[in-house]
Amino acid sequence: MEKWPLPDIDLERCDRCGLCVQRCPTQAVEMGAGGPYVARPQDCTYCAACDAICPQGAITCTFEIVWGVESLEEV
Amino acid sequence: MDISTDALRGIELFAGLSADALRRLSRVAVRRTYASGAIIAFERDLCQAAYFVVEGRVRICRLAPSGREQVLAEIAPGGAFNMVPVFQEAGTNPATAEALGRVTLYAIGRDDFRRLAGELPGLAFGIAADLAGRLARLTNLVEELALWTVRSRLARFLVQNAEQGEVTRGWTQAEIAARLGTVRDMVGRVLRDFADDGLVQVERQRIILLDRAGLERQARE
Repeated sequence: MEKWPLPDIDLERCDRCGLCVQRCPTQAVEMGAGGPYVARPQDCTYCAACDAICPQGAITCTFEIVWGVESLEEV
Repeated sequence: MDISTDALRGIELFAGLSADALRRLSRVAVRRTYASGAIIAFERDLCQAAYFVVEGRVRICRLAPSGREQVLAEIAPGGAFNMVPVFQEAGTNPATAEALGRVTLYAIGRDDFRRLAGELPGLAFGIAADLAGRLARLTNLVEELALWTVRSRLARFLVQNAEQGEVTRGWTQAEIAARLGTVRDMVGRVLRDFADDGLVQVERQRIILLDRAGLERQARE
């Protein structure tokens, strides 16, 4: 099974406010007993809305910055 | 245990010093190791030492009461930090220094470093050159923050990072915001604007730059 990269949720920093669950555009995040988690990984588009909205900064999405093929030809 | 003079030569500030000067520095330098995320020096604490990075990278940042962060510099191996307060009377650390990954550094106590700077002209000249470089970089940072919009700064940041060729690290939106002197959701908003304008494509774990000329235009606006 393909492993999807998912947002990293720091449960020690999380205060269980639930905003990430409410704001996830694809409803991929749910609140579990231990805190929020990506319940449906295949629905997560890694849009980083949860990263942007988390008041505690407990969710992080990491991005590499690369040239696209056409831009690479201009470099 | 004393640090070898060869090891000290790997620090930019010490590279051109005589063997005698390096020997004298090696007697007062202390080797320290920090785990990833450890705070090496806290902003506003009394300055205890100047630090010289041997391995790993150190993030230098200022934190506002609101929690907003501004990254001032990222110090690579061979670089130094806390050079300014060492020379101020009752100087305090001007910023917080945090280990990015495991970090090894040499620390030279404030009094020892001041004494040696007075005794070793080569070291004093190196310190003056280092401080001049810092002043120039901070002047550029002030210009960036005061005169350019977040759109311009983000466009420039993206191009500069991609130009490094090899991908050396991944960035979170919070890290990008701290570099640009803005907040996370602003970075997200501008990235979405760039995507709508066809300048970039945001994929799972990748920001792909599609239009170099367009981004460079944004960087100048």
